[in-house]
Amino acid sequence: MMARAITVDDTFAEAFTMAATGVVITADSEKWARQAAITMSGFGTSVIGCGAEVGIDRELSPSETPDGRPGVRVLLFGFSSDALLPQLKNRVGQCVLTSPGSACYAGVESDTKIALGSGPRFFGDGYQSAKTLGKTRYWRVPVMDGEFIIEETTGVVSDAVGGGNLLILGSDRAGLLRTTEAAVAAISAVPDVITPFPGGIVRSGSKVGSKYDGMVASTNDAYCPTLRGTVKSELGPDVVAVLEIVIDGLTPKSVADAMRTGLSTVLQVGPAEGVTRVSAGNYGGKLGQHHYKLQELLP
Amino acid sequence: MSGLTFQLKTAPAERLDLSPLTPSKLANMALTEMLGTVIGSTKRRLTVGDVFTVSGQPGDTVTIAGGTERLDFIGGGLDKGTLIVEGNAGICAGRGMSGGRLEIRGSAGPWLGASLKGGLISVKGSAGGHVGGWRAGESFGMIGGTVVIDGDAGARVGDRMRRGTIIIKGRCGTYAGSRMLGGTILAEQGFGAKPGVLLRRGTLIGSTAEEMLPTYADSGKHDLAILNILSKYLADSLGPLAPAPIPSTVRKFAGDLAAIGKGEILLTA
Repeated sequence: MMARAITVDDTFAEAFTMAATGVVITADSEKWARQAAITMSGFGTSVIGCGAEVGIDRELSPSETPDGRPGVRVLLFGFSSDALLPQLKNRVGQCVLTSPGSACYAGVESDTKIALGSGPRFFGDGYQSAKTLGKTRYWRVPVMDGEFIIEETTGVVSDAVGGGNLLILGSDRAGLLRTTEAAVAAISAVPDVITPFPGGIVRSGSKVGSKYDGMVASTNDAYCPTLRGTVKSELGPDVVAVLEIVIDGLTPKSVADAMRTGLSTVLQVGPAEGVTRVSAGNYGGKLGQHHYKLQELLP
Repeated sequence: MSGLTFQLKTAPAERLDLSPLTPSKLANMALTEMLGTVIGSTKRRLTVGDVFTVSGQPGDTVTIAGGTERLDFIGGGLDKGTLIVEGNAGICAGRGMSGGRLEIRGSAGPWLGASLKGGLISVKGSAGGHVGGWRAGESFGMIGGTVVIDGDAGARVGDRMRRGTIIIKGRCGTYAGSRMLGGTILAEQGFGAKPGVLLRRGTLIGSTAEEMLPTYADSGKHDLAILNILSKYLADSLGPLAPAPIPSTVRKFAGDLAAIGKGEILLTA
């Protein structure tokens, strides 16, 4: 189907049920809350190699945070809550505890809890203290710039969605990148989702398996423009580059909203930037529990 | 809001135990049984019907109208619903409460909220000593819940308290937080002499302290984010009963070093 001079494939993105948790990081300034969040999100692009997919959901105003300071919400997605536990512990311990003025609170509401402060509190070497307010327990860990406050637990959900995606194809690599950046920026305003890859964009889309033993994923040759003519390519002659946006969300609806927002932005910005086509990645529909049909997401 | 009202006929000649008068305990009680419930403390065995006129229907609220300081154990064991006292309350109001709301529109006697487990107690006037303290035979004082006193409180507030929050918008008496094991006491107008004696853990927050114990170490002035969290929690959970926001910059005294020294007194002035 053509929409605003861009072909939108009659296909679907295939996504998977994942576990997810989250934290709210605050600091004395928005700059330092964001710095801690960016550091914690590092090396968190794909569960395949990173153990968790991690990213910033959104910035929070002081009125939205437990301590009345600027904050950032970070979401983590993994295969299971057990798999998320060490990721959360290590990332908070190494990247948030260490960041000046930081504090760390539960970022997902759920009846099912996962340990948050019960590991990092031991950094206090016995000088840490707890403060229980209502049903919430906070740990106060003495550090060199004062106290690191961390909530004892955060929520974890087992019905989150990972792997919503858009493949954006274009005849101008620079224009394609600008268009995809605009789509990622628009998606960042959608609550409860992250785009975990660098700047929200993937240039190395993968297929399942490899000719080499031990490789669980390898390059998506059908979408590599330099292989056109040598493999069964999915790309027409005008396509010089393909970029992908991968979306994880706490609910199926949040992923659909993010894909709809991204697709709408591409259709608005893309025609003037050489974008020719939008597609989506799937595995024939047999692996993922969630199918997002592009035609149903058109504005 | 349905409920029962117990109107005091005349000032009682003896102390009364009003712990049977809670919404839960009265929920399935017939009027005759209710009127025959013994609440006296002497061999005269005074009953509810001897002392009160009863009106209304059982529901989620009980009102005791005409309260005096001889009405003891009001709200004892309250687990849900609201108990309103129009007037004063005697000793041990809200003793062992686990939930619900006890609203005293006058003043309260000593041991208000003794061994409190949960729920909210509010006092329009002042309270006697040992607020949130322990009752005989128990290891700890209050272990949860919130007490808000608009006026002053007596000595040894929070004695052996382990968890929960006590807010005194007036001034606290001597030895506040004695032998405390955890929790928070906020005295907006400050503490009397020697707060936190033998305190092990927990937090006392106030504008001033009349006399500090020598077993507290001055840790200096600090900007503590936990106080922002506490202020916000109190505003969210207490609404109009909440105290003024606590300044986040305080002078911290660590102690009691005569015990394990893991508690603190935070002075805002």
